[in-house]
Amino acid sequence: MTPSRARLLLVALLAAPAVALAADSPVKGCSPEGGFTFADPAGDDDGPGTYTYPTDAVYKPGSFDVTELQVVPKGGQVEIRVTVKSRIEDPWDSAAWNGNGFSVQMAFVHIDTDHQKGSGVRQGLPGTNVRFAEDEAWDRVVIISPQGPARVNSEIGLKASQWKDRIVVPRVTRAEGRTLVAVVDAASLGGSPKPTWGWQVLMQSNEGFPAKTDLLTRKVNEFEGQHRFGGGTDYDNDPHVIDILVPPGDDPVKKQHEILSKYDKAANDPKPEDLAQVPMVYPCAK
Amino acid sequence: MTRTATALRAALVAAALAPLAPAARADTLAFDMSGKIYTKYMYQNDNTQGCLSLSNPFWVDNIGGHNGACTEFELNIKANVGPRVTAGVRLQSRWGALWQDWWENGDLKPGVADTSGESLGMNHAAYVKLRGAYIRVAPPIPTVKWVTIGSTDYSMWNEWTIGKARYIDRENGSGVFVEGEVLPRKTLTYTVGAMALPKLWAGPGWQTGLRDNDPLASLYGTDWAFAAKVEGRLGDDLRLRAVGAWLQDWETDRYSPMLTGQPSSDRGADHSVGLSTRFRGLNGTLDAVFTPAALDVIQVSALVAASSNYVSPAYATNLVSSGQGFSPVLFRTDKAGRAVASNGMAAKLLVELFDPWKAGLSLKAEYFNIGSEYNAVMGSRREADVLLTEGMITGGFTRGGQLPTLNIANEFVDWDEPWFESCIGWHGGTLLAEYARGSLKTSLEYTFIGYNTNKQDRDVATQYPDFLYTHGFTDTTAFTADSDYANVYDRGRDPRSVYTRWQDRRTHLAVLNASYAIPAARGASLAGKVKVVDDRDGRKAGTTADDYRGRSLLGFLALTLQPTAELKTTLGYEYTRWDEKNRNGNQSTGFYDSKTYRHTARAGLSYAFGGALLGYTLEWFRKDLQRDAAGGYYDMKWNVWRAKATVEAAW
Repeated sequence: MTPSRARLLLVALLAAPAVALAADSPVKGCSPEGGFTFADPAGDDDGPGTYTYPTDAVYKPGSFDVTELQVVPKGGQVEIRVTVKSRIEDPWDSAAWNGNGFSVQMAFVHIDTDHQKGSGVRQGLPGTNVRFAEDEAWDRVVIISPQGPARVNSEIGLKASQWKDRIVVPRVTRAEGRTLVAVVDAASLGGSPKPTWGWQVLMQSNEGFPAKTDLLTRKVNEFEGQHRFGGGTDYDNDPHVIDILVPPGDDPVKKQHEILSKYDKAANDPKPEDLAQVPMVYPCAK
Repeated sequence: MTRTATALRAALVAAALAPLAPAARADTLAFDMSGKIYTKYMYQNDNTQGCLSLSNPFWVDNIGGHNGACTEFELNIKANVGPRVTAGVRLQSRWGALWQDWWENGDLKPGVADTSGESLGMNHAAYVKLRGAYIRVAPPIPTVKWVTIGSTDYSMWNEWTIGKARYIDRENGSGVFVEGEVLPRKTLTYTVGAMALPKLWAGPGWQTGLRDNDPLASLYGTDWAFAAKVEGRLGDDLRLRAVGAWLQDWETDRYSPMLTGQPSSDRGADHSVGLSTRFRGLNGTLDAVFTPAALDVIQVSALVAASSNYVSPAYATNLVSSGQGFSPVLFRTDKAGRAVASNGMAAKLLVELFDPWKAGLSLKAEYFNIGSEYNAVMGSRREADVLLTEGMITGGFTRGGQLPTLNIANEFVDWDEPWFESCIGWHGGTLLAEYARGSLKTSLEYTFIGYNTNKQDRDVATQYPDFLYTHGFTDTTAFTADSDYANVYDRGRDPRSVYTRWQDRRTHLAVLNASYAIPAARGASLAGKVKVVDDRDGRKAGTTADDYRGRSLLGFLALTLQPTAELKTTLGYEYTRWDEKNRNGNQSTGFYDSKTYRHTARAGLSYAFGGALLGYTLEWFRKDLQRDAAGGYYDMKWNVWRAKATVEAAW
């Protein structure tokens, strides 16, 4: 084989998956077992369009920019893969605190298993400052955290015990390149995924010393700090999420900005209705 | 919160604010206060006392030791003073007071027989110290986003220039910093800063002018580091960053007329003194990260770096010749014997393929070429890693990394913390394959290291520091800070050792890591590791009698179980064997072999409950060091039990 042919072949081999995802629809690979791949645009890691990263060098550009959610059911387990724009690193040596091999990122993967009013939880987890629509309330949420399971479970017991049966701490949590990976038992999700299920990823940052109202989440303030996001408010009325999925159609970046901008900026002591309402995405529902 | 607790908190807030009044108003919504208590208990079957495995025994009030319980308290206060002004402080108690030090008040009485128990010094008095204070302003100046005056951890630069301070030093550094954005959405940003040099460690003799340490120097208040960083994006695919740093250690010009005689104007004295350079360090890097949007399974990262370090022998004692070769800087001279700068270059290129075939297989390849005299004197001293390879210093239980500085700092840590080694002079490459699917994750690494430091008859007597211990696998497990501080127990190469007189070295390294989450049990996993190192140094050319060959084999296995949601337990075992030909000795007496066998077992648990975190690790290791009696060496054994328990709560 000539060098130029070899190079072409290599490019083709490497490019195949990327090209496959580059088509119009963000959804690919819906399977009867509930698996799918959902693409999210790059460059929308600014929440409502105003958020900025903390200034410390560990928060590298693209660290919270979700580009893909992939759900892979296999046997009695489900692999949930959240990919971001930047290589995931471990600058805080997570092994020293029984962590999972990465430090900075954290993702909440919400699942709506029935798409019905009156079922599930409308509030976001403590520290996210968002809510869900009545018919899109979440039934399960998988926490992909660099913190070890003991710490995550302790925080759940402390701050979200009323939902502890709905919160899933993965059997395995790890980072692979740019992807956060969680392996969970299908039973913990209430059964194997179905094409009718709704999904939402709230991208956050791991905070080892959270406020007592926050479930390991990093705050967004008016101005960014060394370890605080900026571009929001100094109160808990703004959504403390950096990137989310939005339903297919229109300009997804613009839509995300609209969704996360709809909160009461004057509410210093916000009620649930003051918070931004994030949608579920039903990638494979017909 | 109870009324008492509320009142206490209000009193604390008031007390903390008092010195700032009336500028800071009691706007509690803009006021953020957090606290943390950290307690550690240590045990070891030896006769030391303290709560820190590796300290520094030079100090009379040394805090290092292996038996005792200690507590520290930290209080962080941050405030939004106004819409564009924030401020913060950190108050922290001094580490080192044993629970047994009931009445210690720091009243050290050197040379006096003191039976009061108040005789260990302030290090054991747990006084609360201001560890950091800053004000941050967003002025209405074009392009300027923030001006920070006060403490930071220097994390805005990088490991090759001015590195992030050690965690224990995280807010000891202070300076003035300006951050700005020239083009929106971080298309082009900049940071500039002027930082006070620490009077310890950042220069020749690990200081910048302490007469008791270095009789040639006495001025440190004029010493600064200056740095600038420019970051930009070319489209969405390419990020570029340039960092430059200038370290400047000034001393009083010893020939200033005001210091050498009568203050007569006839002599040129004018009630002023001049300054002269004791040390000047220059470091610069240019790095790029390429992440093509059209091919997002690939990432290419590249870095080039340059350094130049000049030491004036008129103001800095040469510790290469006068300090047994322990020096964080080179003392280079030209052929005429005049002091000249030590200059070095470095480069690395990393190509990563993130699961390109969607089969769970990722590949990484790194080329590194670090010049024999590249040295980031104020680069990261630990807690960072610039190379892909595991390197030689990591073990099964021991983590670690490589840093391009002679100023590595592995002290002020405990025995379960990571270790770092200098990679100055390393030239080679790493291939790493990672496979992850479901519950299984594995990686296989191969690394070849050649050495730009290979040279015959290098001048380690006056110019190049060798740190005295140049050969032998470094035993991080057996380090202690008491009598072994001077390596009397033969723990191998100093992790800072880069130069040796005769060197012709190359190293092959292979590592297999695997972890598997056991499906049948909640939170259960099995982790294993095998590591092989072949390290050869032909030393003096033309003879084979001095050739060093070290072969290392490491096997590691650990089982983790999670009996309850909040409790995690781990049980592990590590076996290490080092077979080293011609490890000890010198060219005149000859070289002698040694073999090392080490068995290490650890049991640990972590428990998180209601906001409190508890950890406990129990370790036993047995080490047999077998040396050649023909060279006058005797064998040694270690039979060490040790434990470390921690409890912390933050609010």
